[in-house]
Amino acid sequence: MSADIKRSVSLYSYQDEYYNKQLDLEGCLRETAKTGATGVELLAEQMIRRFPLPIETEEFREQWFGWLQKYGLTPSCYDAFLEFKLYDNRTLTLSEQVNMMKRDIRLASLLGFTNLRTLVSTPMNVIEGSLEYAEKMGVRIGLEVHAPFSLNSSWADGYMEMIQRTGTKYFGFIPDMGIFCKNLPDVVREKWLRRGAKPECVKIVDECYLERVAKGFTKIKYDLNLGKANMEYRMANGMGEMMAAVEKAGGKEADMGYAFESFVFSWSDPQDLIDNIDYIYHTHAKCYNTHEDYVETATAIPEVVAAFKKAGYQGFLSTEYEGGEHLRADSPVDSIEQVRRHQEALRRAIEG
Amino acid sequence: MAGRQYYNPEAFRNVTEDGKVIGYSFEIKAQYYRGITLSIIRDLKVTVDGETADRENVRLTINGVMFTLEECRTVIDSDYRWEFGDYATVTVLKEGGLTDGPHHILCHQSIAPSYMPFTVEADCEADFTI
Repeated sequence: MSADIKRSVSLYSYQDEYYNKQLDLEGCLRETAKTGATGVELLAEQMIRRFPLPIETEEFREQWFGWLQKYGLTPSCYDAFLEFKLYDNRTLTLSEQVNMMKRDIRLASLLGFTNLRTLVSTPMNVIEGSLEYAEKMGVRIGLEVHAPFSLNSSWADGYMEMIQRTGTKYFGFIPDMGIFCKNLPDVVREKWLRRGAKPECVKIVDECYLERVAKGFTKIKYDLNLGKANMEYRMANGMGEMMAAVEKAGGKEADMGYAFESFVFSWSDPQDLIDNIDYIYHTHAKCYNTHEDYVETATAIPEVVAAFKKAGYQGFLSTEYEGGEHLRADSPVDSIEQVRRHQEALRRAIEG
Repeated sequence: MAGRQYYNPEAFRNVTEDGKVIGYSFEIKAQYYRGITLSIIRDLKVTVDGETADRENVRLTINGVMFTLEECRTVIDSDYRWEFGDYATVTVLKEGGLTDGPHHILCHQSIAPSYMPFTVEADCEADFTI
């Protein structure tokens, strides 16, 4: 099948303007439309006040669909947060969690979404317990594949086994392009330099990252204890040696901070997208800093888009701007401009 | 979310009840990127001029209703979500409140989104005048 790659914006991207009350929900939709994107991804718990009650009302839904029509937008993905530790003294039972997942599937459907993002912390049996309802409602559950996780890994194999065992067409993956970082984002590097990191230590961290990319990352294993799995993954990818090198070069707190944060980013071969295309329903086009020349600092837009074209991808690339958190302590954040540039970068890659 | 200034600069004041100053209050935004139920707030520590308030003396007011931190543990209703980007009022019971003049505040928020293996901790400091 020939590819039909569409562009979307996750309203997560506009969080700084929303926090400062410069944009409300409609303002975010208006800015999304201005970028030329045709899809919108929503975090209902972020921008719908008194969640989830308004979604149950016809009045709100009329307004929502009215806005979508006015701005020419299609709902691309509903981002759910399974709050299974709603209380501090216990974890919700399996039934409670399944009911919460079904509630979110229903809310997504009420707002016109056919994809729902769930987080890696969602237990497998909660997903499995929701599949029948997801199919009934026509909403596909997509597990976000966010660094340090990756496709074609023993972590993903656990989910693939479930897909094959159940034969479901209502569960798959939502890769986050943070797993396709060819180098570390410049806004992260600059943040640590402002905090006093030494150029020679920064160089060690940058070179180690490029080495990991060149060598190929050792992938994370499936483990319900995510903290343990993450630490093993970091050690297998040379964190111990890198920390020692930074320390030997006189690394202090800021240098160690940069070294440690470098493991938040990862590189996977874009071939992973082609291999798993039947199970990829949506994509978070993560971005950190897109320059005036429309080059994103870290994520491999051309390579990812090329892989999706080859695979015949039919879904959205949904801009998820996350550079703001590295800037906001020291300088203003302009998410509107960053999203605009990133959408243009995507457009050029898709149409080019 | 790290690094945001989260106080309302206009909202530092003493709180009077029945003609007596019973404490002080200020307004802050939650340091996270979505609205939350109060039940996932693990702690709010308030230190003014080096003096940290006891947990039982800290109150949080959302939508006109004041909760103790102990009560917050079970508050999940939609009417009392701490909405993203909205100020909530923090009241600290302290007989006589704060003296007129300049003060320094450090507030520590601890919020526990279920999917994170750790709590989101955010400190914010400010100088203000009563």
